[in-house]
Amino acid sequence: MHEVANTPRGRGVLACIQCGRCTNSCPVSRVEKEHNPRKLMEMIILGLRSEVIGEQLPWYCLSCFTCLDRCPQGGDVGEVMFALRNLTVREGKIPEGILAQAQSLFDNGRVVTASRMASIQREKYGLGKEPTVDVEAVQKILVKTQFDKLINKGKRSL
Amino acid sequence: MKYAFFAGCLIPAREPQYENSVKKIAPRLGIELVEMEGTNCCAPFSIQSLDYTSWLALAARNLCKAEEMGLNIVTLCNDCYESLLMTNTILKENKETKDRVNQILADVGLEFKGKTDVKIFSDVLYEDVGLEKVKDSVKRPFTGLRVAVQPGCHLSKPKRLHFEQWRGITALDELVEATGAKSVPYERKEACCGGPLRGVNDEVALHVAKQKLDSIKSAGVSCIVTVCPFCFIELDMGQIEIKRHMNEEYGLPVLSFAELLRVAMGMDLEDWELKAHRIPITGILGMTEAK
Repeated sequence: MHEVANTPRGRGVLACIQCGRCTNSCPVSRVEKEHNPRKLMEMIILGLRSEVIGEQLPWYCLSCFTCLDRCPQGGDVGEVMFALRNLTVREGKIPEGILAQAQSLFDNGRVVTASRMASIQREKYGLGKEPTVDVEAVQKILVKTQFDKLINKGKRSL
Repeated sequence: MKYAFFAGCLIPAREPQYENSVKKIAPRLGIELVEMEGTNCCAPFSIQSLDYTSWLALAARNLCKAEEMGLNIVTLCNDCYESLLMTNTILKENKETKDRVNQILADVGLEFKGKTDVKIFSDVLYEDVGLEKVKDSVKRPFTGLRVAVQPGCHLSKPKRLHFEQWRGITALDELVEATGAKSVPYERKEACCGGPLRGVNDEVALHVAKQKLDSIKSAGVSCIVTVCPFCFIELDMGQIEIKRHMNEEYGLPVLSFAELLRVAMGMDLEDWELKAHRIPITGILGMTEAK
């Protein structure tokens, strides 16, 4: 529990009283029974590390922050999900779709790159070129934060 | 009213019609949008999921660029808004974190000073331009058009980041009603469209979208209006996918608020912009009347 609580976004787990309002308000829990934020919080509290960190469960979260608003304890469940994903990623477990976004960020300075059709449309309809991106600055930052190493670790575990 | 314009990456690349409508309505309301050059990804949900410090440093770099311009930063996208607003708040409140991020930014010749405010375009319309002026700009009101407003999560959640409770939702409702349309209440209006799970778990994303569309349909509306580019894709293209995979058809046109206002101001959408909507919107656009 303290491993999670000591990360910048994980503190909320300490406030959890297991009331389940997060799960009741969660739009994913309504359609996917696998995803149960209350249960995830319980597993963290019980210290079931291997069942939480490195697993798929925290990746079901939409980060819609409904649970943040509903939690009577200010327990920031949606924030704790970020903490869990950050810890999971350090073990090299990154879903393929997210890994592709991370690589695009490193290579292009942005997650979504221009499509040929949009470029043609922009030119033709007077919107001008897309705003420029400073890729070199992005890479400097990401090397300093060792984000590049996270990507490589994720690729090796695919 | 002058702002540093942070277009993000999704809108310029995938939804240029949205950007075009914003640029058409802005000058008529006295808004000047100054393009930002040499920015980077806002670091949305997916990047925040990977690493906390990388997120803050990337988002802060964009904020520094706006500080250099001496302007407040305005975004069109809910995800850019959330990432920049949250970073701005964290760094302004927490000196230790700010110092750590500034150490990283020093390598690219920047320093976060906390001198810009983050706004989303609908905030600019509601707070800076004002509802009355928006109303005055309407020449062809959508009188009686029944609209389901989809604010998108990060316009108003988490509440503590958005000062007044649900301001984001009520502001957008009032803006929609300024065009003469009626914002119809529906169940679970604040619920997510499912978009953030695209590319991670497409099936769950589509089920969440369906949940939303079911609730909107039962409210008996003619269209959906949103400000979020992710909600637009999920609810517009999502209807095609739901029809294919779940055999359920809604036929609900989805418009950005900028498009609705532009038409209400008396400016027609161009053919290429109409074609950017997978569910045809032409039926809706004819529902205006002369003022």
